[in-house]
Amino acid sequence: MEEIRIENLTKDFDGFLAVDDVSLSINSGELFSFLGPSGCGKTTLLRMIAGFEIPAKGKILIGNTDITDLPPYKRQVNTIFQNYSLFPHMTVFDNVAFGLRIRKTPKLQIIERVKEMLSLVKMEDQANKYPDQISGGQKQRIAIVRALINQPKVLLLDEPLAALDLKLRQHMLIELMNIHDAVGITFIYVTHDQGEAMSISDRVAVMNHGKIVQSGPPDDIYERPASIFSAYFIGETNLITGEVIGIEENYVQLKCPDGAGNSLELDSTFNFPPYLGQELTLSLRPEKIAISRSKPRYQDDINVLKGTIEDILYLGSHTQYIVRVGALKFRVFSQHKRVYFDDKALDWDEPVWLFWHDTDSWLINQIPENVLSFNELADGGVNHYQRSSKRPYQA
Amino acid sequence: MRNGNYNQTLNAGAQKTQSRRNLMSWLLTAPALIWLILFFLVPYFIVVIYSFLTPDIYDVQFEFSLEAYRQALNLQYLSTFFQSFRLAALTTLLCILLGFPVAYYIARAKDKVKNTLLVFIIIPFWTNLIIRIFSWRIFLSYNGVLNDLLMRSGLINQPLEIMRTDLAVLLVMVYVYLPYMILPLYSVLEKLDFTLLHAAMDLGANEIKAFFRITLPLAAEGIFAGSLLVFIPALGAYLIPQLVGNQRSLYLGQVITYKIKNIPRNWPMASALSLTLLVFVAILLVALFALYKRSKKLRRV
Repeated sequence: MEEIRIENLTKDFDGFLAVDDVSLSINSGELFSFLGPSGCGKTTLLRMIAGFEIPAKGKILIGNTDITDLPPYKRQVNTIFQNYSLFPHMTVFDNVAFGLRIRKTPKLQIIERVKEMLSLVKMEDQANKYPDQISGGQKQRIAIVRALINQPKVLLLDEPLAALDLKLRQHMLIELMNIHDAVGITFIYVTHDQGEAMSISDRVAVMNHGKIVQSGPPDDIYERPASIFSAYFIGETNLITGEVIGIEENYVQLKCPDGAGNSLELDSTFNFPPYLGQELTLSLRPEKIAISRSKPRYQDDINVLKGTIEDILYLGSHTQYIVRVGALKFRVFSQHKRVYFDDKALDWDEPVWLFWHDTDSWLINQIPENVLSFNELADGGVNHYQRSSKRPYQA
Repeated sequence: MRNGNYNQTLNAGAQKTQSRRNLMSWLLTAPALIWLILFFLVPYFIVVIYSFLTPDIYDVQFEFSLEAYRQALNLQYLSTFFQSFRLAALTTLLCILLGFPVAYYIARAKDKVKNTLLVFIIIPFWTNLIIRIFSWRIFLSYNGVLNDLLMRSGLINQPLEIMRTDLAVLLVMVYVYLPYMILPLYSVLEKLDFTLLHAAMDLGANEIKAFFRITLPLAAEGIFAGSLLVFIPALGAYLIPQLVGNQRSLYLGQVITYKIKNIPRNWPMASALSLTLLVFVAILLVALFALYKRSKKLRRV
């Protein structure tokens, strides 16, 4: 079932390691995403699979054939480029027919296949238009069928939705999924947009500095991040470092200094063998935390902290609270549901209780090395270590 | 009523500004217009009139005649026309073949290299054409640099007779007109999105197919512009055939010049030949332009 295998793939540009010893395999029919910030090497990796970059080291196999040294036009791989790269001097029809004409397919067959492809994306009536006469979403569709008509084993998509506006992007995302289901070939999708990657992928590989940091199904990556980078890059999270003071079968007790002279004792789940005295990082998603004026009545398997609201950001679907506990700051998302909510809205500087279930936090076998690189990742986010907060506005 | 008045005054005001603007634009274009009328249209008019007059030893007799046109269209002159057309066509073709790779290379080079290379293309314009042609004479002549090099390297035993041949004319023509081809080609190739070539290769086209199906059609406008810039001046070339060519095969520019230079002078003949060339070129241009427009129109179905 394995379609693509990548072995120790390495690529450098004048000494800069764009892709650093990457190995992985992608299954047949899978929708696999590479997710990472710009410059993480995901596009370079894709271009090597397509044949536009020659790897410095390593191998790429499709099926059982080594394609590492094949030129792009001899690979059973097609690419959707970021700006679609439709040929401006050809009609929609000619664009789609390009691959077949190159292979000298009989004319009648070309007409039939192109029509079939255009009907797949409901563009039959646009066949005679030129690329500059159709909309962005339509260009996207044409780029997809222009590639699919060649019946590739693998379709590579390089940030295919980056040039579209938000609503269209959501729409095309669903359409891409439908096309993937309809044709059943392997899709490799490259994006920096976690939302895109999470929603359509069977599996995601998170990349940073040319390496795959973590790969797996989207929920696995979100709920059980293997590194500080994947915890921070995907979604939002609170990270707290602490020392292991107790190990039970299902959870670890962590002693976390709050930076103001006190220690918090927090319980969390894990999937690696920790030892007493080990320094670890706890990742806690903001939406997992409950916020309330009153102390929770039941406290079995629940972590409870007392803090003060420092910032309130109304975000429509939810409100983001920044709550100070000692010198630490917690980000908390709270949805606007009256049933679970205190009658009166929470206010600035109000003392509140934060609580969450033990199994809703996750331990990472890593401690942040340097706060700076951390801040770069957390664009506008709260840092739990040293950064002092500035109020965006005063209530 | 008040409203109507207001609108009227507004219109009057707008008209006033409009007419002032018209006057301004006329005043601004006037110098160029006068210049063109005096030094382009009037001389051309004189040429047209002269072509219908009767030749005299030094000047013309003001007596209507179609003799010049009758002669211009006889076999002897038609072969001269053909000779000039062939030279211009060959020059254009060679300029495309030599200029395309150069323009392509410059367009794909890094910015710094790009600018340096463009300066190299422009540098020849800083030196007088006659000087450059004479340096070619030194290079190509019987005891010249080229023959010397070839003899020393042992490739030939006898010096080659290149100077004063049609080959020499063609060589220097290509040398002189090449920049006029490279620059428009460069300007279209620079705008060419090279990811389109990647897309073509991704879809199964090798480098050669990608070139003929993507690069060439998208560079067509540049090839067209460059060809005009080379072909038309090359048709009337005088200096280069005169300085490096021979007197057995004369080109049109030379023939026209001799009609005026040699005594008895034949102004009507020279004028008629010039105008016939003009008509040929005009027909050619109209045909090419129609072709170009049709290909554009086809794109806009």
